[in-house]
Amino acid sequence: MDLELILLNFPYVVAIILFSMGTLIVLTQANLVKKVIGINIMETSIFLFFIAVGNMHGGVPPIYDPAYPEALYVNPLPSVMMLTGIVVSFSVTAFALALIVKLYIYYGTISAPNFMKLK
Amino acid sequence: MDIIGMDALKVLPFYCVIIPLIASFCMPVLARWKKEFCAPLTTAVTAAVFIITIIIGNHVIKGRAISYAVAGWRAPWGIEILVDPLSAVMIMLISGISLCIMVFSFTAIKYELERIVTGWFYTAFLLCFSGMIGLVISNDIFNMYVLIEIAGISACALVAAKGTRLSTEAALKYLLLATVGSGFILFGIGFIYMITGHLNITFIAMELALIKDQYPILIWTTLSFFVVGFGVKAALFPLHLWLPDAHSSAPSPSSAILSSLVVKVYIIAFVKILFIAFGLEIFHETYIRQLIIVLAVLAMLAGSFFAFVQIELKRRLAYSTVAQVGYVFLGIGLGTPWGLAAGMLHIVVHAFMKTCLFLCAGAIAYQTGRKKVNEFAGMGYLMPVTMGAFTVAAFSMVGIPLFGGFISKYGLALGSLEAEMPLLILVIVLSGLLNATYYFPIIGQAYFSQDESAGDNHGGDKKKFKRDDIPLSMLVPIVIVALGVIYLGIFPGTILKFINLTVSVLL
Repeated sequence: MDLELILLNFPYVVAIILFSMGTLIVLTQANLVKKVIGINIMETSIFLFFIAVGNMHGGVPPIYDPAYPEALYVNPLPSVMMLTGIVVSFSVTAFALALIVKLYIYYGTISAPNFMKLK
Repeated sequence: MDIIGMDALKVLPFYCVIIPLIASFCMPVLARWKKEFCAPLTTAVTAAVFIITIIIGNHVIKGRAISYAVAGWRAPWGIEILVDPLSAVMIMLISGISLCIMVFSFTAIKYELERIVTGWFYTAFLLCFSGMIGLVISNDIFNMYVLIEIAGISACALVAAKGTRLSTEAALKYLLLATVGSGFILFGIGFIYMITGHLNITFIAMELALIKDQYPILIWTTLSFFVVGFGVKAALFPLHLWLPDAHSSAPSPSSAILSSLVVKVYIIAFVKILFIAFGLEIFHETYIRQLIIVLAVLAMLAGSFFAFVQIELKRRLAYSTVAQVGYVFLGIGLGTPWGLAAGMLHIVVHAFMKTCLFLCAGAIAYQTGRKKVNEFAGMGYLMPVTMGAFTVAAFSMVGIPLFGGFISKYGLALGSLEAEMPLLILVIVLSGLLNATYYFPIIGQAYFSQDESAGDNHGGDKKKFKRDDIPLSMLVPIVIVALGVIYLGIFPGTILKFINLTVSVLL
């Protein structure tokens, strides 16, 4: 029963595993570029989660077709929201990489423990 | 309002967001053409928004919230802007404080930043400004997320504007942790959307009231995601790691904005989600309340301890912010009328105090180049007006009567009596005393200690008051916010009326 539930909802499970992985990578990896990759994994998992929320079994794309008035449409709103999410994720990545380039010019390394200390 | 009709009034909150947004995109172009125009234009935009918010506040104080459906799409589908009295007081605070800081930045930016980044600094500021105002008045949680990101990323840019090693490092740290925080918030929004099917806070509240018994674990998960997300964003104690670096290495106008406004708007968003969307029943049934109180108490004590050991003035002020965020969260955690009202009042008071302190720190560094707390000997005579404002703000921070900080701390004490947790009063008093231990040495040194370095040059007149040698554009904002602190301490009634109008609806 539980296994069946998990198999039916596997996008959610994958999303949660990816989210945990991404968060862990951001917080534990020393390499700054790896940290940025972690953020991307984390945000991608959220996109997956939202799209899974909007999906339906047997749903069709939400374009009205008079031939099938009773068609089951997929909820388009979460997908549209994730377009915004992708833009946000893109800009964060770009900004973070720009800062990393600048730090590399200053320190000659992109490994965080060499300079990021708790003061 | 008599001047403006109801239809026009409804659109005004929208203009508060859109005017700075458009101005921010004009700024890089303007900076290419004439760099000198950036600061006056930004100040003019901020002033215009301030006037608009006062008109809105004037209307909302009568007890009628302004609701506006953006682009004509009605509430459950479209984005709704809702200005309740609490939001009204917050947008007035954000635009008023920003106006003071912008006037201060006229000279401070020339001194602290390279000339080439001036235009970009004002771009980032205006984006952050519109993001903060939008976040406070938005009634749609996904829209809130977008505005959180706008405010958050541009706040990172405000830190990075200085371009030194430390500020770049701090900005990256801030960016990474803030993105983790907003990831948590977005996941929480996803959970809410999954169980309610709504994004509008009013509709989420109605839906959650019906189905909250079906999803106890999911609601608990969602709440903890929001606590972590907003906790990182608002620098609640164990999640505050980005704050001291970011606030101390930023240029002083940025530090003032970050410390007094940016961390606070997230708290307002959290209060809206917690008390309106989830509602009081969930607040009392889950253990969210105890969690928030424990974190707040830790923040109040630990933030003050950390502040005590800092040598650099701006770092000390930054850790003090961690402690003050604790006060605000304590008010939220108490969840009683006085507690919540005092927490919200503390947001207002702290915005004035911290702006005053950071601007004073900036002015002192501008005139004398001193940045450490043990270099303040004789400062009270060297810069009497600045140090006077500093003293007012520090007294208010400690919670001495007649200053703003006293009212909110007194309110929190009343709130903890209402919530039947009298031990919390001890924590409030203890934290106040700790505040005293790290602010009073600075003040004592400034007024009662001899300045050896100045003594050689000036002979016998080192105890004589001199005039502050800082430009008027720095002096005036400092004096205004210091007067604001005193005003809030003596006449807190108007602000409390706004806050109580909302709190009485929430509780």
